[in-house]
Amino acid sequence: MATNDQINIIGKGITIRGSLTGGGDLVVEGRVEGQVNLKNHLTIESSGVVEADIRADELTINGTASGNIDAGTKCSINQSAKVNGDIKATRVVIEDGAVFNGSIEMDVKLPDDI
Amino acid sequence: MAATKEFSSTGGDATVIGPSILISGKLTGDEDLTVRGRVEGELNLSKTLIVETSGIVKANVSVRNAIVSGVVVGNITASESVELTREGRMVGDINSPRVIIVDGASFRGHVDMGNAEPRPQSERPAARPVVRPATTSRPATVPARAAIPVARPAAKPQPPPIAKVEAAAKPENKPAPPPPPPQPVLVGEAGKKKVLVKKKK
Amino acid sequence: MANTIIGSSIVIDGEISGDEDLVIQGTVKGKISLKESLFVEASGVVEADIEVQNVDIAGRVTGNIAATDKVELKADCRVVGDVRAPRILIADGASFKGNVDMDVKER
Repeated sequence: MATNDQINIIGKGITIRGSLTGGGDLVVEGRVEGQVNLKNHLTIESSGVVEADIRADELTINGTASGNIDAGTKCSINQSAKVNGDIKATRVVIEDGAVFNGSIEMDVKLPDDI
Repeated sequence: MAATKEFSSTGGDATVIGPSILISGKLTGDEDLTVRGRVEGELNLSKTLIVETSGIVKANVSVRNAIVSGVVVGNITASESVELTREGRMVGDINSPRVIIVDGASFRGHVDMGNAEPRPQSERPAARPVVRPATTSRPATVPARAAIPVARPAAKPQPPPIAKVEAAAKPENKPAPPPPPPQPVLVGEAGKKKVLVKKKK
Repeated sequence: MANTIIGSSIVIDGEISGDEDLVIQGTVKGKISLKESLFVEASGVVEADIEVQNVDIAGRVTGNIAATDKVELKADCRVVGDVRAPRILIADGASFKGNVDMDVKER
């Protein structure tokens, strides 16, 4: 649980290029380019820009993201978000006002006779 | 829910496809359409399509607004908005300037909202009157769900979901989302590759 | 009021089937088969073969009608096609062209 309580922030003035891996929750207010691979929760704040393929357990986007997203449990694209790329997640939420272009892959249980 | 009641009169325009009805072929129209049964083929409406929980649409759909609480297999092109509610299930592509997917909905396919730049809040044609917090989507699922049982009685052909859309069509500026909370300024060194990670708690 | 209403601006080109009442205020081309009643209202236009239990026509129907119970042609309706049903009512003012067959084998 220790890692879950820990919140890491990439501040507004920061740019990271390369790959970013780890446990713990991460909040991006700055810029990340490359790859992100997180065990826990990634939040992209409205000032944050992530140009990377993202893998995380849970993802909350208020800012800008481009790249493919693989979220284990949930990916929330909030009102102020701008997202380009393909998303794979158990649950995907797109709020009114969000801009998203790309595909979404969720498990869709259809009736048998379709 | 209060907002949905105010706009419950939509005149005589209320086409309802009942739960046991199957329509296969091409359906066009200039009024709202509520599907509780099944429609297969092609669907073109200049107004709103509402697929209720029992409804199944297996068609390519071209509408102004679509609210999906049931099942849609096929592509939807909407000139205004597409909303997948908590119980909505869809496989296909969505082409619409506004796409809303509520937690609980399931979807597989491509989403194309067209413009790459988010429009300013004031330009958005149909802000929803439903008040909800800017950060979490959970409360938004409540009105969509609650509307469904109310729509059941056959005596009243206009179900609330229609009203909701009518309400949504009123130009009403949604308040701008609250600015992000002030964040601690992190003193990073000027170097671009410098990573600064701060422990908040 | 019936569950299913096809509103006046709606045009359906294809097949409608089901087992509940259907009200048509718009246009339906193709085929209609229902286990219950069909109501073609004054604004309704049907160019389809119809198989139902009961049908009430106040609008326009072109096509053959087969009802297991009753066909009622109201005043001001216009029907072109053959009608087959054990009970057929044609109101004063109705316009009808076609054959009537009340000698229905079933029931």
